[in-house]
Amino acid sequence: MGYKAVIIGGSAGSFQVVTRILNSLPKNFPVPVLLCLHRLKHVRSGFVEALSLKSNIPVEEPYDKELLKPGKAYLAPANYHMYVELANRIALSTEDTVNHSRPSIDLSFITAANAYREKLVGIILSGANKDGAYGLKKVHDNGGIAIVQDPNECEVKTMTQSALQLTKVDFVYSTDQIISFLQKLSKSND
Amino acid sequence: MAELGIVDIREIIRAIKSVHDFDFSNYALTSLKQRFERLMSTYSISSFESLIKKINSESEFLDTILYETAVPSTEMFRDPSLWRWLREVYFPDTVDRNTGRFKIWLPACVSGGELFSLTILLSELGLSDKVQITATYSSDKILEYIKKGTYDPKKLEVSEENYKRANGSRELADYYRTDKNNIIRDTSLIANVEFRKLNVNFDNVPQNIKLILFRNNLIYYNPTQQDKILQLLYGSLSVSGHLVLGIRERVSGVSTSREFEVVNEAESVYRKRMLN
Repeated sequence: MGYKAVIIGGSAGSFQVVTRILNSLPKNFPVPVLLCLHRLKHVRSGFVEALSLKSNIPVEEPYDKELLKPGKAYLAPANYHMYVELANRIALSTEDTVNHSRPSIDLSFITAANAYREKLVGIILSGANKDGAYGLKKVHDNGGIAIVQDPNECEVKTMTQSALQLTKVDFVYSTDQIISFLQKLSKSND
Repeated sequence: MAELGIVDIREIIRAIKSVHDFDFSNYALTSLKQRFERLMSTYSISSFESLIKKINSESEFLDTILYETAVPSTEMFRDPSLWRWLREVYFPDTVDRNTGRFKIWLPACVSGGELFSLTILLSELGLSDKVQITATYSSDKILEYIKKGTYDPKKLEVSEENYKRANGSRELADYYRTDKNNIIRDTSLIANVEFRKLNVNFDNVPQNIKLILFRNNLIYYNPTQQDKILQLLYGSLSVSGHLVLGIRERVSGVSTSREFEVVNEAESVYRKRMLN
């Protein structure tokens, strides 16, 4: 039903989940996928390469003001916040950390929710702090779909539990269910 | 916290332009929105209407706005590999071969992170006397803050690690002292730096610059303004002068990409290309 973007946030324990998701998406996935994953500030390289290995769609760390394209995944670069700017562009920022994090999942989700409103799917995965909870609430408040990985399946539950406490989410899904949801979305968006 | 919509932001921009003659309309809106919201919470401005009122009635308010909307650098020696390259390749190659003063410009000197990192590096290389550094910003309040040497303690730990990774030859602690809960950097490092407030229309930019450090500032503008700023920087560089941008920034405009050539892609270093 015409979604415009999918945004995924995760921290400790999310790498395998993201890898499985990227591995299962069809090559012609109809919208951009934004990935905001906590990472070490000073390690610039390696992460995007590791995610690319098994991904079915290209994974890139965007440059500032890059245009978002369907069928591509955009990973927030080390030590930058990643926003969705007007006119479907990425905007990077070095503003202060939020929840001790840069990239901040909250900021990525809030800006994406402002840009895409009800046409956004937000997914919070395994992680060790509460970053992302407020952002997912914004996705929900703007009419988008809010999904949380089933805490029972998460390596670290804090992030998903914080999100569940703050927002009445649309779905609590296992990784398999997230994958089939995105595959269905891909077909219905055609 | 009050939340501003895009329509509100445009109204705020219009008010600042008409009352204070400063134009935010080419700023990247998402981050500007965040910073206006933060300003409102810092100054306990509870609504959009009271912000507009303040803009309209207080002549000194512009400097506060510029101060609060400026984004400080993240940590000292951010991207240690760039600082290693400057230390081991760039400065040894260029400064010694240079005749006359080697001029360096930091166009958007917001928190002094880049400035102090640079002056520490130059001092360790024994090159302090060979360079002339100009640090500029549009706000007096910002420049005064930098001159005091104050530093945010929560940025210290990462800065220390960065300094080591950048092959600093001493300890970062040699360059600051702790005063109660404050970190005060050694201001003798910046004693010879020329601080200059940039005019609103940027018509007083320095000339014949060999090196411009302008990292992670273009990101706060829209593509049109980015291109204009790059033109301005191009004009202030001397023949084969170098420009350093942030790691995820690049020279991408149609005209500017012809005017600069890549020197070090990983670290976003460019050189002015002479056009016929």
